[in-house]
Amino acid sequence: MQFGNASEISWIINLAFFAFILIFSLYGAKIQMWQWLKQIEAGLIELKRMAIESRQRAIDTFKEYGRSEEEVATELDRWLDYFLIYPVDLDPAGILQRLDHLLDERRDRYREFVTQLAPEAGPELAQNLENTLEVAQVLSLVFRIVRHYYLLGKKTGSQILIMQIHMQMPELLRIARAYFEAIDAFADGKPIGDGVGPLVVTRFAREYGATPDQYVHDVSREVGYYRVEFEGRTVFAVRATGPGGTVGKPGVAVKRLVEENKGAISRIITVDAALKLEGEELGRISEGTGAAIGDPGPEKHAIEQTATDHDIAIEAIVVKEDEAAAVGVMRKRILDSVPEVINRVKSAIRERTKPGDKVILAGIGNTIGIGL
Amino acid sequence: MGVVTKIISLSFIALGTLIVITYGGAQDPVISFIGMFAGLMLWSIGLALMGAGRTTQVKPPPPTITEIRCDNPDCDFKEIRDFEPGDYILRPMEAHCPKCQGSLTIYGIYVVLEQEEKSTI
Repeated sequence: MQFGNASEISWIINLAFFAFILIFSLYGAKIQMWQWLKQIEAGLIELKRMAIESRQRAIDTFKEYGRSEEEVATELDRWLDYFLIYPVDLDPAGILQRLDHLLDERRDRYREFVTQLAPEAGPELAQNLENTLEVAQVLSLVFRIVRHYYLLGKKTGSQILIMQIHMQMPELLRIARAYFEAIDAFADGKPIGDGVGPLVVTRFAREYGATPDQYVHDVSREVGYYRVEFEGRTVFAVRATGPGGTVGKPGVAVKRLVEENKGAISRIITVDAALKLEGEELGRISEGTGAAIGDPGPEKHAIEQTATDHDIAIEAIVVKEDEAAAVGVMRKRILDSVPEVINRVKSAIRERTKPGDKVILAGIGNTIGIGL
Repeated sequence: MGVVTKIISLSFIALGTLIVITYGGAQDPVISFIGMFAGLMLWSIGLALMGAGRTTQVKPPPPTITEIRCDNPDCDFKEIRDFEPGDYILRPMEAHCPKCQGSLTIYGIYVVLEQEEKSTI
């Protein structure tokens, strides 16, 4: 019988077919795991590049203010591992006070570290340096966590670990890229998208005659206010002190203003940036009820509790942004939304308060690059 | 993706193409089937290798613009220049408006992206 005989060839085809089925049923998952691992590896290389470059950018920025590059690098590496242990939540009573205390302590440690590492930086620059340090820290942390799961998955051969990190990789890379692009904004003191709240408040206050000298400093930590008259109402325009990068403690500021003006505050309006849904336009303005503030909890709680205790109406106006726009240099579309937000603030005050009332207008957000 | 992986994946694709061209259209239906099958198998292996470890190109960020405007509401003077260290929004400028000699203030600092994302739905 010659090779090429139909029955012989069909036997080969059958064998090849069964071999194919056997190989893919036994090793299909392994082939797929290998492909996932290669893709995670590519993402990890990018995360590592961003972590290294942001560290170098932080070193380059810090060394301008009084310490050598070697000293800055050594201290910075020690600081990149700095962590915060969240308070125990098994006994939730008083958790917000404990968290508030820990966040204050953390801020103090950051301030202390920046002062040591950049002794010649002024207070506003020190705030920007703090923000730069935080971005480098976030990128270092993301890289180390992803690397941990990648190596652990590889070591144990756990499909579920590898699959999870593979599925989350695009989102992690998106967030990391947003922070990486933001480091230049923080290092150079450029305004970011999150600063739209303080910008709205300042523009509103200036429209009604407020000047930087009239700003009342430190009603709470790094937060103050302008007192302006608007169509017979008194408006306390609250924002964090700039143009250094800080969000301050606006919740405590609102609480103190309400307590100082016993029973006279009739409305609290908060203005902030909010995460947009995919498909929504950047810079879209939305209104709602509640406190628009994205802190870990204590500041939002302070506003909500104060409003509830004193029966004060509370409303929010937000400008929709994605993560990249919120932490990156302010986009033109966000800046263009400011006049419309001011119009909505005016309408809210006109329509929902009476002449003689007192109103708190709180602009929440990072004040980097936004003057008083 | 390394150069070696790239060469291997391209070799697989090239070999697959060669087999499909040579045997895919053979008169004998069995040879044609085997040719097509083997060729496409090599193609898929090559493409899988190419897809693994692919990185996306990151575009450089656009320049940051500083927009300076005259404080006089009746004057429309506006100057746009590149961001300089020390600039911040609402910073009063030392120079005066060339049109009306009024004071100048930084109105905005921003970036304009080439293509802002717009949903088609």
